[in-house]
Amino acid sequence: MPKLIPTLTLYSSDNTSDQLSFSISDQLTVIAPSVNLSNIIVDTTGANNIIVPANDNKQTWVYVKHTGTTNGSTATAQHCDVELTGNTAVGTLKPGEFFWFPFCGNGASVGVQLQSVGGAIQVEYGYWSDSTAQ
Amino acid sequence: MATTTATLSISSPNLMPGSPLSISASATLTKAGVTDGLTQLESGVISMVTGTEYKLGPLATEMAGDAHDIASYIYICNTTTEDATYYIDWGIHETMIGRLYAGDWMFIPWNASDDSAEIEVEPQGGTNTIEYAFFNSDFILTTAAS
Repeated sequence: MPKLIPTLTLYSSDNTSDQLSFSISDQLTVIAPSVNLSNIIVDTTGANNIIVPANDNKQTWVYVKHTGTTNGSTATAQHCDVELTGNTAVGTLKPGEFFWFPFCGNGASVGVQLQSVGGAIQVEYGYWSDSTAQ
Repeated sequence: MATTTATLSISSPNLMPGSPLSISASATLTKAGVTDGLTQLESGVISMVTGTEYKLGPLATEMAGDAHDIASYIYICNTTTEDATYYIDWGIHETMIGRLYAGDWMFIPWNASDDSAEIEVEPQGGTNTIEYAFFNSDFILTTAAS
């Protein structure tokens, strides 16, 4: 089965007197359904921008990135909220920021949606179902 | 102000035949609505017994912030090496969002908009150990009890 390898690197030379610098990777075995890297123009109504459908307890890894533009070329400073369907807030992306998190509805029929705080925002996303405990 | 960068890469040699996946994203962690770097960092390792919900990190009213929300970023990794019966449920307040199995990690900008938006973790299967890091807006000191 296909493997997905996410790697995070956190670095700061001046946050503490001891330099912060570490990387961590994971190896995930991916099954259907999955959506590879995609783009969406997000508006201010979350229900219009569902990027992960309700999956009833399937472990799914979600990647979301604010491109900093409205359409791939015009810059925007607006924030983009990441929510569960039904408008439960998870986090907020400023331009250029990204999410990487595991999602499962835990039996509840909810998905993941995006909602612009104002105006259009182009967002990059993907999700991959994890074979673990499916 | 401190400058902290987070870089994510996602790769796969065999997700699609003939088309390896290679995604890269990098962000400088800043206070909400401004370009100042975050100055508060807390990191550590905690072992937690199964079946109990724990709050991770500060509440919104324990941090200073402005603009849309209070800026916070969270990294959590489940360092257990046990089988798939061991995992961490993570969520916001009483809403469970996902699971971290052995070796899994997550990184998110957290929407710390109010005190009902706290990060919660609940180990399952037995004692799980996590390592974590929070990058926050400025903490507000609370008045000590007399």
